[in-house]
Amino acid sequence: MDMFHDNPMLQNVRQMLGAFAKQMMRPISIKHDQEESMPWELMKAAQGVGMTQTAVLDGRKRLTGVDEDPDPKKPKSQARIGVAASEELAWGCAGIALALGGSGLAASPIARMGNAEQKDEFRKLLKGDDAHGHLKIAAMALSEPGTGSDISGLKTAARRDGHYWIIRGSKQWITNGQSASAYIVWAQTEPAAGRAGVRAFLVARDTPGLVPGKKETKLGIRASETAQVHFEDVRVHQDMMLGGAHSGGGPAGGLSDTKKMLDSTRPAVGAQAVGIARAAYEYLLERVRGGSLHGTPMASHQHIMFELAEMHMEISASRLLVHRAAWMADHHLDNVADASAAKAHGARTVQHVTHRAMVLLGEEALEPGHPVEKWYRDAKIYDIFEGTGQIQRRIIARHLTGQNPT
Amino acid sequence: MDFRLDDEQEMIVQTIRRFAERDLRGWAADADRAGAPPDRLRAIGAELGFFVDAVPAGSHGSLDGAYAHVTRALRGFELGRGCAGLAALLETNVDPALAVATWGTTAAQQALFASLGQGGLATFAHDSRGNLTIEDTDGELRVSGKLGPTPALATASHVLIAAQQALFLLATDGVARQPITPSGWRAAQWATATLDAHRVPADFVLARGEPARTAIACVLSWIRTSLAARAAGVATGAMEHAEAYAGGRVQFGQSIGTFESLIRLRDDALTGASAARLMALYAAWAIDTGAPNAADAASRARVHAGDVVARATVDAVQIFGGYGFVNDYPVEKLMRDARAFEALYGDERLGRVLAAKAAG
Repeated sequence: MDMFHDNPMLQNVRQMLGAFAKQMMRPISIKHDQEESMPWELMKAAQGVGMTQTAVLDGRKRLTGVDEDPDPKKPKSQARIGVAASEELAWGCAGIALALGGSGLAASPIARMGNAEQKDEFRKLLKGDDAHGHLKIAAMALSEPGTGSDISGLKTAARRDGHYWIIRGSKQWITNGQSASAYIVWAQTEPAAGRAGVRAFLVARDTPGLVPGKKETKLGIRASETAQVHFEDVRVHQDMMLGGAHSGGGPAGGLSDTKKMLDSTRPAVGAQAVGIARAAYEYLLERVRGGSLHGTPMASHQHIMFELAEMHMEISASRLLVHRAAWMADHHLDNVADASAAKAHGARTVQHVTHRAMVLLGEEALEPGHPVEKWYRDAKIYDIFEGTGQIQRRIIARHLTGQNPT
Repeated sequence: MDFRLDDEQEMIVQTIRRFAERDLRGWAADADRAGAPPDRLRAIGAELGFFVDAVPAGSHGSLDGAYAHVTRALRGFELGRGCAGLAALLETNVDPALAVATWGTTAAQQALFASLGQGGLATFAHDSRGNLTIEDTDGELRVSGKLGPTPALATASHVLIAAQQALFLLATDGVARQPITPSGWRAAQWATATLDAHRVPADFVLARGEPARTAIACVLSWIRTSLAARAAGVATGAMEHAEAYAGGRVQFGQSIGTFESLIRLRDDALTGASAARLMALYAAWAIDTGAPNAADAASRARVHAGDVVARATVDAVQIFGGYGFVNDYPVEKLMRDARAFEALYGDERLGRVLAAKAAG
């Protein structure tokens, strides 16, 4: 078992992205938080180190020359690389990290369920700059105003019209929702089929009827854009349905695939939480090392040092859960409950660590632009998105007993 | 022991509750976005008796007899339910006015009360980490260092400062102030100030040495009690918003307000807030009756209220889910507002630990 020791590839990922986070993300983090603006310049620059908007698709192809995994049974390292990278980038700035990787949320279902034509179309839609001179980005539109935790209750509907599907509905909390050039939209194609009737469609931004809505003002991760998106009878060719129609007997593409996809991202989300917690912990540690309190070294006070020790323990425990869930994914083991535990524990850790760090820093953390105050605001989303803390516990509980507690 | 309010207290609570629910809650979101209070706050606040209620009746104020901290805690709880940032402005004059009335010279009283009587504001700052340098020369002080962040400092005519072994009043004329808008209590007209050997005349020094230590403990007990009451109000308000939302939100075929995990979040928060309110009222009663444990009771009330408001507002956002994270709904503001209750005037737990250690 190699989960306790970094292999050279993981070390390289940490080193490279750690340097990128320190040199490229940290200096602009507060600015984008205060302005609630996307880091467009950095997003372009990041392509140079492989963080392209289609990286999720291109990664495998770049390595093997083909999209398909040549040996799906062989242990991989993708998940472990993913969590190592996620921790480093979130350490730099969780909002910017999400801006850099937001298109990956849309690229994942394409990689998982898309055919060659759809993958090419996705790449084509993200090629070059948009009308504002910004890098073209993508959005995954799943959540709806009435459908947050319970994604099986989607109201957005797609009805067939010859070779086309007509999509109608509204989406909520969509990362990149206002600026995307390509959208992956989930809609109910066959209400009588329930969850099995839900399908994803690739939709270009300029399709008539696709109306980006209001950009949200958020508590945290403000460098990442979140918006509503409205679909007013948007006409999409049937070839842009991922995985084939339910009644056509398509092999994949339903809600179960969406859930599997969310399961697979949870360790990385937990790793982001660890990254923010580590940032706050390191900031406090640095202050304590050089600081004094009424003339005595801060480091001489148990009240402060034991809190730091507590933070260290919590962060280490969260990271171990994250890496175990990722290791299990890489070894094709069922990690659903472990992924939920990693995500939920990371969320708890980051909220506790950032809060305690702020309290120990006192009034200085009230000043606008204080990084620990920002990390505290960023932290909260980790208990909400990609399945709330309650949803993670529900998943773990169901794994324990087979029942859904209410 | 009688927990019932008397007629006057009941009338004040009902009046401030209506004001908080109708006006403060109505203004809260816009004031937060603007980073400034509504123009009407001063006029309506004055009509309700704020700003000069701690200023003696013969000196442009309305205080006749002893100040009632229990009444202040009762109204503070209601104000917290309305808006923490606006509440901070409404309450800001009380502590400087009481301190100057108690320990101030005639000159300090005349200067401060005249300003407050004309609609001015004052504020309080505590140098909890010893950042200020104070030279005591021939009775006057020379103060250097950074002050704040402090609410109301951007517009206050005077600031009462508790630092090391001195309690003094500082007129803000000529002081380099930097208005700031923190992420919480955004409407509270915050500022920091940089003092460079700033002169405080002897008339404005309220206490020095051991008497200052006693006076500062007293002022801190007033403001900690008020903070604790307001924090309990914010926690309660957060859960009132969460309860209303949860009752109408359906997921997995049932109202989310009926999920046991969310019932527990709400119930724990309201239990904590109830205890925090009672602790604040007890501390206020201890102050009003001159009980020897008043300062300790106020400090404990603030520790508990700080924990409660932090937890309750975070959990209110949790109950709202994705909607809790966006500015269209009230609870993300409350989570930002909660911070100041723990941070202002220093980390209460740390202060208690250091004090106990020093006492041996």
